[in-house]
Amino acid sequence: MIGKYVIIGNSAAALAATGSIRKYDHDGSMLLLNRETGPAYSRVALPYYVSGELTLEQLLIRQRADYATTDVELVENANVVRIDADGRQVELADGRRVGYEKLLIATGSVCAVPPIRGLETITPHYLWTLEDAKRMRTAAERARTAVVIGGGFIGMLIAEALRKLGIRLTIVEMAPQLLPQLLDAEGGALFLDAVKDEGVTVRLKSVVEAVAKVEGQTEVTLRGGETVAADMVAVAAGVRPDVSVVANGPCAINKGVLVNEHLETSCPGVYAAGDVAEVKDFLSADRTIHAIWPVAVDQGVVAGANMAGKRLAYPGSLGMNVVELFKLTLAEVGRFRESATDDVKLLGGSGSALYRKVVVDREGRLAGAMYLGDPNGVAEMGVLHGMIKRRAYWRELAQHRQARISYAYGIYAAARGV
Amino acid sequence: MKQIVVHQEKCTACRDCELACSFEHTGRFVPALSRIRVNDFYEEQFYLPMTCVHCADAPCATVCPTVAIQRQLDGQILVMEERCIGCKMCLLACPFGVMGFQPDEGVAQNCDLCGGDPQCVAFCVPKALEYADVETDATARQKMYAATVRQSLLVGH
Repeated sequence: MIGKYVIIGNSAAALAATGSIRKYDHDGSMLLLNRETGPAYSRVALPYYVSGELTLEQLLIRQRADYATTDVELVENANVVRIDADGRQVELADGRRVGYEKLLIATGSVCAVPPIRGLETITPHYLWTLEDAKRMRTAAERARTAVVIGGGFIGMLIAEALRKLGIRLTIVEMAPQLLPQLLDAEGGALFLDAVKDEGVTVRLKSVVEAVAKVEGQTEVTLRGGETVAADMVAVAAGVRPDVSVVANGPCAINKGVLVNEHLETSCPGVYAAGDVAEVKDFLSADRTIHAIWPVAVDQGVVAGANMAGKRLAYPGSLGMNVVELFKLTLAEVGRFRESATDDVKLLGGSGSALYRKVVVDREGRLAGAMYLGDPNGVAEMGVLHGMIKRRAYWRELAQHRQARISYAYGIYAAARGV
Repeated sequence: MKQIVVHQEKCTACRDCELACSFEHTGRFVPALSRIRVNDFYEEQFYLPMTCVHCADAPCATVCPTVAIQRQLDGQILVMEERCIGCKMCLLACPFGVMGFQPDEGVAQNCDLCGGDPQCVAFCVPKALEYADVETDATARQKMYAATVRQSLLVGH
């Protein structure tokens, strides 16, 4: 097999790249090497499949025919084991070789496996792939109790899905708060109340030492010796970039695959985008990985353009996330945990917001924001997001007695020459 | 394409557009459910109705993880409710803050132009809203609000 453009992956970054490549190169051959089978599904939607709110069909974001429409060949069960940068080809586990002119590594993340004694003796549930989701759904149909190890983003999505099925839950989290990547301490405390109100048991600052099968159940032992027994155990200890295709070279890696501002790796003609790529942070310019869907899409667009000869610079990755959990909508953008030189504009609760916060850097520019409250309040986070992206100043919102987060006020202020 | 054009200087913040929109889409008069929102700055006597401008390079459609936000043949950006999982990524992506969320259905919602007969325009007494052809150029469309504001400032202040 040979393709002018070869893309390893079949999710957010990979699909965005195919669209971007087609925009600049109408007929160059394109191959998508998909380790799984079937057309692309939305990873973001998997928890809704577990809870029974979506069918398998509804998870699909591409039909097989869609690939043909844009002249992209989807190669299934294509497990890339090695990249031969000198020979410009990749090697698959089954021995097949695929030649390329331009290659994109968009392998995403894999679930981290925490060091828990006995984990290999039980069947822990992860939630990352469609197969994971199918297995979890089957187990959840029979389970009455569950332990979720990890109270981060994915752990809480699993918890919410299982709770909707009426399963009694215990969440175990090492950090002193839930959702440490999404909320500051105060937001975490408010969220904890919402979770507890739903009858969920939460164990913070707790570490799982061991798991074992005991009388048809799984027994989870916490540090300190306390045990919790449950019908099923889900593990959500975070994700890490899937650098397996370049683990032994040839591209430079750190946590993820290192890329320049055109998202090209240290190997000429080889690009990386999405969770697997370690990129520049939009705000700090440090190297970072924001393993989220919209960032992966942005990077796929930029990488695809560069692959097709359109030089585009990636402005850097800006963290953002939003999720509705336990009847609360949570959203964050940028640096919502202030650094020593930042100023915090704590807007407190009002209207639809239970809690909101805006972080401003030493130059007075917006750097981050966080929100807890009703769903519609996320719209003002969109405005702040747009302002952070254009490095706007807080004073554009705060000229008058009370700061109003509104695009309308921003342009009024701009027109007045504030 | 035809869309809602705002003549900011004529808006009196009466909010009939919000009621008309809510009633058209839900059968109830609930301003919070409206897809058009009047931004009011009473101290400045500055009122600006805002709704979806159907951006050519629509960030809401780009970020949607379920391909639920799609451009129609006429250029309109529409939320396919049956595909929407209610993740709200589009609300977080919209720099205008005009993507909304319908809490009863649990889906995102934007201006659907009432299928070609926008009720906010029909009920706008001071004629601050107009249903008219606008430039299809992305930048021009996205600068629409800014332009109307600058114009009104020149006229009114």
